Amino acid sequence: MGIMDWINERVNIRGVSEFAFKKKVPVFYGTIWYYLGGVSLFLFAIQLVTGILLLLYYQPGATTAFESIKFIVSKVAFGWLIREVHAWSANLFVFFAFLHMFTVFFAKAYRKPREMTWFSGMILLILGMGFGFSGYLLPWNELAFFATKIGSDIAGAVPFVGEFLLRLLRAGDEVTGATLTRFYGFHIALFPAFFTLVLGIHLILVQVQGMSIPPELERIPEKHRRYMPFFPNFAIRDALFWLIILNIIALLAVFFPWELGTKADPLASAPAGIHPEWYFMFMFQTLKLIPGHIFFIEGELFGLLIFVFGTIFWFLVPLLDRKARRGQRSRFWTVIGVVLIVYMIMMTLWGYIV
Amino acid sequence: MKFSNVSLLILIIVAVASSNTPLTKDACIDCHKQLDEEREAGEQILKNVFQDIHLQVGLSCADCHGGNPEAYDDEDEAMWDNPTFIGAISRRDQPEICGSCHSDPQFMRQYSASVQTDQVDQYWTSQHGKDLLNGNDKVATCTNCHGVHGIYPVKDPRSLVYPLNVPSTCAQCHNDAEYMSEFGIPTDQYYLYRTSVHGKALLDRQSINAPACNDCHGNHGALPPDVVHIADICGTCHVNNSQLFQKSHLNNIFLKKGFGQCEACHGNHGVKKPSDEYLNWEHGAVCLQCHGNTTGNPKELADLFYHTIDSLKGQISLAEDLMDKAEQKGMEISDLYFPLEKSQKVLIQTRTSIHSFNKDLLLETVKDGFIASDEAIQGASLALTEFDQRRKWLFIFSLIITYLIVVVYFKIKDFDRRHRNKNK
Repeated sequence: MGIMDWINERVNIRGVSEFAFKKKVPVFYGTIWYYLGGVSLFLFAIQLVTGILLLLYYQPGATTAFESIKFIVSKVAFGWLIREVHAWSANLFVFFAFLHMFTVFFAKAYRKPREMTWFSGMILLILGMGFGFSGYLLPWNELAFFATKIGSDIAGAVPFVGEFLLRLLRAGDEVTGATLTRFYGFHIALFPAFFTLVLGIHLILVQVQGMSIPPELERIPEKHRRYMPFFPNFAIRDALFWLIILNIIALLAVFFPWELGTKADPLASAPAGIHPEWYFMFMFQTLKLIPGHIFFIEGELFGLLIFVFGTIFWFLVPLLDRKARRGQRSRFWTVIGVVLIVYMIMMTLWGYIV
Repeated sequence: MKFSNVSLLILIIVAVASSNTPLTKDACIDCHKQLDEEREAGEQILKNVFQDIHLQVGLSCADCHGGNPEAYDDEDEAMWDNPTFIGAISRRDQPEICGSCHSDPQFMRQYSASVQTDQVDQYWTSQHGKDLLNGNDKVATCTNCHGVHGIYPVKDPRSLVYPLNVPSTCAQCHNDAEYMSEFGIPTDQYYLYRTSVHGKALLDRQSINAPACNDCHGNHGALPPDVVHIADICGTCHVNNSQLFQKSHLNNIFLKKGFGQCEACHGNHGVKKPSDEYLNWEHGAVCLQCHGNTTGNPKELADLFYHTIDSLKGQISLAEDLMDKAEQKGMEISDLYFPLEKSQKVLIQTRTSIHSFNKDLLLETVKDGFIASDEAIQGASLALTEFDQRRKWLFIFSLIITYLIVVVYFKIKDFDRRHRNKNK
């Protein structure tokens, strides 16, 4: 009796493998989009592994964080590689998660019955950005320190709860060592726990409901649709993408390493060119461009409200897009998606170039 | 008191308090103001007098010029018939009249606890003072340097003796060849100073710590420094260089021959930023001024100094170059800045040690610089080697992954073929 039989006698795992073998993936022009979720998952797994390895040497604290990272990258065997892979895979994760979200959006894959998959995916993306924001401060270098100061200042401008949010993020009035340990807690405990839970729900929903196809393909009779088995045909394609991504990360780690910079000095004045991570740049640039006052509202607050309500609006797309629920495409929502992408790209470029 | 009277009083108090003029009425000012207006573009005695420090602290014209400042409408009582009246002060009398207050510690203490009161005594020891005593009125007296009827405190940037203004104040006379002709001294000091390392620091970079004329020549007791004192004067700022030179065997030789210590090699008013080329025997070392084209000990010593410093500079430059390359490749080498900075510091100390003209001291000093720069070079080379290793491993890793990608690709083709066959 093999191990599988032994386990199967106690837990019906054969049901899982049968499910995997029976599962089918639609084949059409947009099949490639299906791999984006898998790539994001793979990058998250890399984050998890490299993050745990970094934990072995990283020491949070205003007097130890920067020094410990310096120690990791200069003294620990392959420490530099682990840090580079962690940093690069983090950025690629956010990139592919955004890409995944937009492909889902344009494929209308959020329509009934997959609203919950969209909601959970949105939560994962916001959490991913939270991972980025909290992780950015952990090396305790000059750039991260001031970017966090600005970032938390923006949170402080939220009406009614701004003061509370600011103190919640900073663990005080200013960005200090207490902020660093708090961000560390968010980054390695709170966010991963919450992320794992939501990711579990997201993956179960994907497996249970199967892959979505665009509305126009749904109208093609079942016998004329093309499929491929999830296992092994789709799974091995996933593996191919993962290998390519792994190769790209290794290349980036060696030739485009993330600079450690200089240690944060809370008493120093902010250096020129302070900016957040690239995925916050479009928001940062927008806030920079908004005039001091719009009508009777402060410019920064106005921008912030736009982003808060914009995110809620985007989050609720499955409930707002009535045509999609009926299996039809809506020109209105397509235009909104295109405008949003163009806006994000333009503002990000503007932020970096000007 | 009626309300209107109170308002008037307040108005008067506000007007007086906001004015720069002294509170007390002064017949001298009233009269001379009218004279100034009549003279229009001519000599305007009262032009800057209200900003003058003396009027600001409550003194009046009469405190220097005598007379009765309260005798309005009576010129004779105010001046001509008044026994205290001095009128225009002669250049010969200036030091004593200024000194009547400035040399009185008791009087001056009311304005500042640490005020100097030996200016007049010093002045009589200066070349200016000596010449004045000998009857030469062309020499500088108090007003030539401090101004007249518009004297500001030394720390006031408007003062003629504020550090940034000292060179041009001295140059008023010392740069005027015709005026200075009877004294038989050069008049190119200001020109030379303007192009010197000190002049550029003071006048171009506005660094008031840089020396002006008075920092080397003294101010009230201004004299050309004696040969024997030059190293002391330069040593006010260049402490180590001065001490090493004065302990060296060359000091006695310089003094015997009447060479001006530091000045013999570095020059005086036109002193330039020193260069290591001062030691380059093949390209006009300053040593050649005395040693001619001789060989032997002086040449050997100069060559040793020059090549040792050149060698350390080369090491530091190599370390900087390698560190720069390593950093551009993203290697973490910030720890190497400690030895690099140490070697740069030792280079400065080594240059200073030359002033001892002692081979052993120089070699002892430079030793730490070579050790530190070597540490930086080794560290940077190691980082570059490690980067090469990383590239090598990346290549091998990429090769393996690419092989796997190809294998997986063919596997995909295989699975797809099987899937198609199964569906047929």
